[in-house]
Amino acid sequence: MTAAFLDAGPRDEADIAELASESVVVLDAQGKVLYWNPAAERLFGWPALAVRGRRIVDMSPAPGDEELAWAQLFQEGQWRGRVHRRTRDGEAVSADVRRHLRYDVEGQPRDIVEFAQPAIHGEARQAESDMISDRLMAASWEIDVSPAAAILARIGEGAGLADEAELSELHRGLVEAARIVEVNERTARLVGGNRGRALMAGQSVAAFWPAGSRTILAELIVEAASAEEGRTCRRRLASDGILRDPLVTVWRGAGERPGRFFVAVNGAADDDRSFLFLRASEARYRKLIDYMPVALWQVDASRMGKIYAGLRASGIVDFDRYLAEHPELVELAASTVPVTDVNRSAIELVGGAGVQELIRPVGYLFAESPDSLRRVMIGRFSGCRNYSEFMKLRTFDNRVLDVRFSVTYPEPLIELDTTIFSFEDVTGRLHMEAQLRQLQADYSHAARISTLGELTSSIAHEVNQPLAAIVTNAEASLRWLAREQPDIGKVEQLTARIAASARRADEIVQRIRGMAAKQAPDPVALAFEEVVQESLLFIRHEIETHAVRVTTSYARGLPPVIGDRIQLQQVVVNLLMNAVQAVEGQAEAERVIAVAVATDATGSLLFTLRDRGPGIAPEHLDHIFDGFFTTKAQGMGMGLAICRSIITAHGGAVSAYNRPGGGAEFCVVLPRARSAV
Amino acid sequence: MPNSPTVAIVDDDEAVREALGDLLMVSGLACHKFAGAAFFLAALEDHRFDCVITDIRMPGMSGIDLIERLREEGIELPVVVLSSVREEQARKHALALGVRAWFTKPVSDEELLTTLGSVIGEDLGPDVGS
Repeated sequence: MTAAFLDAGPRDEADIAELASESVVVLDAQGKVLYWNPAAERLFGWPALAVRGRRIVDMSPAPGDEELAWAQLFQEGQWRGRVHRRTRDGEAVSADVRRHLRYDVEGQPRDIVEFAQPAIHGEARQAESDMISDRLMAASWEIDVSPAAAILARIGEGAGLADEAELSELHRGLVEAARIVEVNERTARLVGGNRGRALMAGQSVAAFWPAGSRTILAELIVEAASAEEGRTCRRRLASDGILRDPLVTVWRGAGERPGRFFVAVNGAADDDRSFLFLRASEARYRKLIDYMPVALWQVDASRMGKIYAGLRASGIVDFDRYLAEHPELVELAASTVPVTDVNRSAIELVGGAGVQELIRPVGYLFAESPDSLRRVMIGRFSGCRNYSEFMKLRTFDNRVLDVRFSVTYPEPLIELDTTIFSFEDVTGRLHMEAQLRQLQADYSHAARISTLGELTSSIAHEVNQPLAAIVTNAEASLRWLAREQPDIGKVEQLTARIAASARRADEIVQRIRGMAAKQAPDPVALAFEEVVQESLLFIRHEIETHAVRVTTSYARGLPPVIGDRIQLQQVVVNLLMNAVQAVEGQAEAERVIAVAVATDATGSLLFTLRDRGPGIAPEHLDHIFDGFFTTKAQGMGMGLAICRSIITAHGGAVSAYNRPGGGAEFCVVLPRARSAV
Repeated sequence: MPNSPTVAIVDDDEAVREALGDLLMVSGLACHKFAGAAFFLAALEDHRFDCVITDIRMPGMSGIDLIERLREEGIELPVVVLSSVREEQARKHALALGVRAWFTKPVSDEELLTTLGSVIGEDLGPDVGS
């Protein structure tokens, strides 16, 4: 009978209002009259056909008050108070009205129902007694405790005897084993999260009943189980953050269905407005999510959740291995876990024609990267809150996109089994990143070549020395051999020297080749102090020629960093060359460069290079890392810009200061490599 | 060999120094090797040399510094430069200061020994390879 009433169409409702003695008016969300019953006609003097479509505010002698009331109504969902309304004769009538805002399925305001009675002067209406509000309804449950029959029997046997710990264990087990048969809307709203009544059915009562009062519920069930049919058992609970001083009533179902119990919880919601706010915010979020520029999929993984629970209960710990042995479980997920909702961006991303095309089992999302689904499942099984990876996604029109895929797993008991997938198309970004990387590599290569250019004469000198030694030693050998009594011992000695010089020349050539080669950066874990030592070798000749003293200090236990050896060398060489140039004009005692490798307060690697040169002009300090900034006649001004670009690409930072005692200081900070244990 | 001519070799690179020393030795010349110009100048106080072969690029005092110093102090010592780099300006400057010859490394033994022979006034044979 109740169901028939609810299913009745609006016309039937209108018919009912026709018979009401109270004025009943229905307004649309803009305040225009949709419906006006005969009692309203009598109270306000206007016939329905004359006011339909008129704005109610226009009938008020005090439109300002009316607008205020209207705003409150939209904020609170209901409004009560006194209004004044002009009658057909131009007089004003006062009426006490109640207005209720009704919502459509989307959570948007649909219409407003206004009930009105003539105002009785000097008498304030008793507010709460004349309406049934959500807060007065009981949150009701029908539960099935037959799965807990054994526990009930056990409690029955040991009544009064079982020790406390055992008893509370049994109580806990009882609520856990009891299943939900059905709940009403209020229960679903209060404890059901966002999945609604249908999904609560069949679940454990413990999954929804507040933990703090489960023992009391169990006690009431035990009590009702042994009470005669029709008797109710009730208990008032302490406020639990959901309801204020709730009263719980439990009674046994009638005859033919043993094990069925009914539970009613009465009490005011702790926050009276929570439902309205919830509804409004739900609508807001729904809209927000729909228009979000990130492609979102809502997935109902409840079935997998149950399977996982079963596997866990049977002692499976290494899920990775389990899946390797049971690939059919991944297929099961692909073919049965349904997508329940998607947003606009999702449809755009995969190129679907509409929502319906995307609302099917999730398998289509992983056609290109089946292993990703496996990893998603492992993440869920191991209790992660979320998981993210880069993967390939095949669209409906057969394009393959690079996407960043993220999963937010449901939080147990709060969101039940709503899993959210998000996909972000990074195809363009990856392409751009690759181009940028290439550009950066080209750029730093060009800079290395230019550095080598600056070092040409040093390099020529360095290579020439061993070559000169080789030639001279060879010629001397020939002369020793050409003697009447060739001195074989001497020749042996010289030949050994030739070999040593040739090796030395080879090392120099290798070093230069490394710098000159154009190769993709190759990030590896490396010891930065070695990079510094190699760089010092590189410009050893410059340092010596200019009679510069270089002191080095390497802290113990330095962390490794991840980087490209050649590029980092390039940075150090560049900074060292700048320092050499800064001090070369100084008196010999001042031609000192101090190089140190240490760790900073955060454990990152810190490379500092100090010189006793003239320092950096204060007006230049902010620009020295800019491209094409130079103070040198022949410089292009790219050296430090490239240093910064390389260090930034390594996730680090480079900075420059003037030292209080004179001279400049450059600091390079590089993140430590995460130890690969 | 008290009477054989003595040549000083000034080069910061040990391998070059040793190689040159051996070449002169096999050619019948006595030589003293110095790792820097300053050491050579110090040795000049109590040694007599017939010729000095010097590198140009060296830490501290360069070959050019050394030549200038010898001229300033009026020391009449033949100088042969054996430079590892082509530095035209330095070369002109050195020749203007009266340097006997300027070679760029690597130098052929024949050229070097012929020049040394003419500087010292002795025939430094026997030649090889010709």
